Amino acid sequence: MTPVLQVSNLRKSFGGITAVDGVSFEVHEGEILGIIGPNGSGKSTLFNCVLGQLTPSEGEVRIDGKPTTGLRPCDLNRLGVSRTFQLLQVFPQLSVRNNLILAGQEHQGTMASRLFGAADAGLGGAAAQMIEFFRLSHVAEEPAGSLSYGQQKLLDAAMAFMAGPRLVLLDEPAGGVNLTMLASLRERLQTYHAERKATFVVIEHQMEFVMALCTRVLVLAEGRVIAEGLPQDIRKNPVVIEAYLGH
Amino acid sequence: MNRLGAIAFACTIVLALVLPQFLKGYGIFLLSMWAVLSVAALGLNLTLGYAGQVSLAQGAFVGIGAYTAALLMQAGWPYPAAFVCSALLCFGVGWILGYPALRVQHHYLAFVTLAFNTLVFLVLRNEEWLTHGTYGISGVMRPVLLGWSTGKPLAYYYFSLGMMALVAAALWWMLRSPWGRAFVALRENPIRALSLGLDTRRYTLMAFAIGSSLGGISGALYAPLVQFIEPNSFALALSFNLLLMVIVGGSGYFFGPFLGALIAVLLPEWLRVTEGYYLLAYAAAVMLMMAFFPYGLFGMVERALRAMRLKRVPPAPTLKAERTRP
Amino acid sequence: MASFIQLLVSGLATGAIYALIAVGFTLLWQTSQTINFAQGEFVMLPAFFVLAAMNFGAPFWLAALIAIALSIAILGVVFKLIIVDPMLKHGVLPLVISTIALSLFLKEGAKDFYSSQAQPFPALVPAIDLHVFGAVVSMQSLVVLAVAIITVVGLHLLLNQTRLGRMMQATAQNATLARILGIPVRRMVLYTFLINGVLVAIASILISPIYLAKFTNGETLGIAAFLAAIIGGFNQVRGAILGGIILGVLDNLSAAYVSSQYRAAFPLIILIVVILWRPQGLLGRVEERTV
Repeated sequence: MTPVLQVSNLRKSFGGITAVDGVSFEVHEGEILGIIGPNGSGKSTLFNCVLGQLTPSEGEVRIDGKPTTGLRPCDLNRLGVSRTFQLLQVFPQLSVRNNLILAGQEHQGTMASRLFGAADAGLGGAAAQMIEFFRLSHVAEEPAGSLSYGQQKLLDAAMAFMAGPRLVLLDEPAGGVNLTMLASLRERLQTYHAERKATFVVIEHQMEFVMALCTRVLVLAEGRVIAEGLPQDIRKNPVVIEAYLGH
Repeated sequence: MNRLGAIAFACTIVLALVLPQFLKGYGIFLLSMWAVLSVAALGLNLTLGYAGQVSLAQGAFVGIGAYTAALLMQAGWPYPAAFVCSALLCFGVGWILGYPALRVQHHYLAFVTLAFNTLVFLVLRNEEWLTHGTYGISGVMRPVLLGWSTGKPLAYYYFSLGMMALVAAALWWMLRSPWGRAFVALRENPIRALSLGLDTRRYTLMAFAIGSSLGGISGALYAPLVQFIEPNSFALALSFNLLLMVIVGGSGYFFGPFLGALIAVLLPEWLRVTEGYYLLAYAAAVMLMMAFFPYGLFGMVERALRAMRLKRVPPAPTLKAERTRP
Repeated sequence: MASFIQLLVSGLATGAIYALIAVGFTLLWQTSQTINFAQGEFVMLPAFFVLAAMNFGAPFWLAALIAIALSIAILGVVFKLIIVDPMLKHGVLPLVISTIALSLFLKEGAKDFYSSQAQPFPALVPAIDLHVFGAVVSMQSLVVLAVAIITVVGLHLLLNQTRLGRMMQATAQNATLARILGIPVRRMVLYTFLINGVLVAIASILISPIYLAKFTNGETLGIAAFLAAIIGGFNQVRGAILGGIILGVLDNLSAAYVSSQYRAAFPLIILIVVILWRPQGLLGRVEERTV
């Protein structure tokens, strides 16, 4: 079975600093892979390389077996890859509904069909479904900038899911979210994952969230993979504990 | 707010239709100039206000449009054909210029367009065999459309007003479509837009090319208005002027360019009192404006309205537990 | 061959002046994200300070010093505090517009308050010609070259060999990190504006004998600054120097060998070509954006 995501010997240097130093791993369909590691271990850089935001200095990325190293994020989106962002990135002046329509409109059709077709690009129904799923009905017409932080996080996830992606990369989805909202977020992610058989890769700092959500965990430190395995084993792994405490 | 806006809009339309009846030749000329330059400003607003690109070449596109229309008409082409040609040519040139230029960093387009504007000016000035160089092209005819002659000042005014309205309507329609949403995304958060599958490069290029073609349309309307065109009118000064129109009106607001163009056309008249120091006063005014109202007049209006609305409606009590910001 | 050497030398001299202007421009961009569209007018103006001072009876050397001081004060301090600082919090675009308006303001100001006629400007040295390798080289060119080189070397020493200079470089490369390291970032940025004030004043004094003091000088000089900075590499001071020299030499050579009508087109075409094929310039580093 071709892994959904394959990263081989990825290396990224900025001048004298090597942020990612030869990282390789695979993610199979239906997995929820967690990537953890102390600050500065290269997690975000790794994401940015996989997602086309940065060009790796060396190494290869394959999605469903096809090489995608260096493809632009918009091309990756059309291959079924989606992401959420660590720092909130919704469109503050657009309504929640329009944010969602926007999130889906570029995934289908052509420039011409978007100009001459329906004003909502035929996505009114899909957007309504997503609003329901993430329980944002009461703020559907509000500008996204006026939502609370937790609601924006939900919207962020909803936008990533609008195009029905096979592979979703979540960058610190739990950051800054309070406990109640966190449980809600995790539950929604798990439901989506179960219903759509999607594959997730999650960068996170919050251990509880990772342990509860992920099926497998990868640990990065100083740009390298230092451990890989089931969440409960990683938790007890002395190398991992050392990496966190040693900093 | 919508009601207020609708009233203002209706008043403006009535004024635009009725006022010229009471004005003499020069006043009608100024209003016609406003209509013509609004089109160019609308185009630049698309490029700058929606796609976020600083273009200093809009003046050159007005020039290309004007010369194309004038030369084709001299060669015997009917005005509608010349008009369409101007629009298409400028779209094409805009696309060719933007294609490589937009692959690089943001601020570079400003310089590329600056260089392009100067190059166009040099070509217009030097290639006398085509453009008559500094002698310019005189005797540009005003079109006769379906038996209606636009020769008289009032007639040409209504013609330019009508064209401006058509262009504005087309632009409004485009911005209501998914393209409009994409342009807002481009302006607000291009990185996120990219990750959502939005081809930012393609949309930016499209905005730049459409904006340039509107410049060309403006030029095709400009030539018969002034009936004598020469290279100096289309140098960097015009590009700066158009840029200021967009900024003063409010970059990114649909009606901003109309207001900005009105001010730019009327200002020399108002500042006549400064007698020759007019440009100095204009420049100083712009700098002050940037310091206090960088979002332009429409931006100012929006802020004022928002502030008024917030004062009128007391904020709902929130015990939302989710308001934890890191 | 003789005329080629002549052109080369005078090209190097002009190029050195362009380099000064471009270096100031690049420094402002690097340290404070300021794209100064008025840089050309900044070079046009100090010449008028000199002429005004001389009108009040000051000898040339004193007038030059006064001009440099005024330049530092007005084009450095006042520019930064009154125009740049308030604008930056609104973003880069309002600042760009302001500097465009400023360029118009300075240009009209010179025209209205001094003169719209080109003014002769005293040269640094009398117009003596030297004969080198059979070519006629003006003393003027050599002196310009010498002054420019001294200024650039001085700047280089300042930036690389002094603690102050290294702090300025740190600020340019990574302001946040510099702040964490305890470097007074705001003061460093102010210093770059002051340095720009000095550079444009020197450039003005060097170029005005050749171009004459005209209120329109800013247009050509401004474009020269942008071209040189971009060709060399927008994020490198060394690039600005290289760009300036290349521009000066090419400009002079093209004036002789290419039609004079399109002389101004040559550098513009080079600019477009460089931006399209090697946007980071000859010496620049490719910049990437991360999330």
